[in-house]
Amino acid sequence: MRCEEVRPLLPELAEGNLREAGEVERHLASCLSCTAELGRYRTVVLELAALREVLSEPAPGFLDRVIAQIPEKNWRSMVHRLASDERLHYAVFSVGGAVVGGTAIALLWWRAARRPLAAAEGRAATV
Amino acid sequence: MVTHELLAACRRGDPEAYEEVVRRTYRHVYTQALRLVGDRQDAEDVAQDAYLRVYRGLAGFRGDAQFETWLYRIVSNAAMSHLRKRRRFGELAKDSPEESRELPSATLVAEEAVDRDSLTKALDSLPPSLRVVVILKDVYGLSCREIGDQIGASEGAVKVRLHRARRRLKEMLFGAEARDEV
Repeated sequence: MRCEEVRPLLPELAEGNLREAGEVERHLASCLSCTAELGRYRTVVLELAALREVLSEPAPGFLDRVIAQIPEKNWRSMVHRLASDERLHYAVFSVGGAVVGGTAIALLWWRAARRPLAAAEGRAATV
Repeated sequence: MVTHELLAACRRGDPEAYEEVVRRTYRHVYTQALRLVGDRQDAEDVAQDAYLRVYRGLAGFRGDAQFETWLYRIVSNAAMSHLRKRRRFGELAKDSPEESRELPSATLVAEEAVDRDSLTKALDSLPPSLRVVVILKDVYGLSCREIGDQIGASEGAVKVRLHRARRRLKEMLFGAEARDEV
């Protein structure tokens, strides 16, 4: 094989897939120029792989924003917020008081409504 | 970086465990997103979207693949969705013409060693259709088939772009001499 035929194959060979006795490999064994070129491609591939551990730092607050969007976290923080909200406490006491008062009034009204009926039932029983 | 025990706790619905996963991975996720979309604000949006996908998908993560590999795939998917929404996906789907390539910048020409800044600059100067492919394959280790599925191209087309991207990077980093040696 000639250099012109080998060069287009070098980007793929840079991954390290050399076979033992292929035509390309025989050419590389005898051609310093193509071997050097393959070395450059390998450098590129190796350095690209190393970039995985080269990290960029996001803007301040990014981590908090990501954590805040965790659904369970949202639910918990909502419960916590409601539990510590004074206005909500007043609202709950007001509604609770209204419910207790309403229930008491309803009971008194129900008993008052039942009293004449019970008296009539008692008279009927004695007769 | 993320242990099986931590993942098991996440699958049991422990929000503290999931928070710990986020703390251990957010720089990796953000950096991958930034490399793919090329803009800091967009990268944050992609990373947030990716973490929602991770949260929803953790129950189905069986653990037979490495968590990090699974995470890279999810971030990549989120980035491609983002580029689609921003209508920049067309740039990924079409091949960049060979004739439009520029001569390597003199500042990027190096000898046999390569410094990280030069490599990063060279990567940034690639057209999106080549940059995304070479980042997903050579930096994050996705297969050509997976990349093809994500960007809507055949495995063969992905390989062609990958080799083209490697050649351009090599030319930018080692100069015109290395290209014209033959």
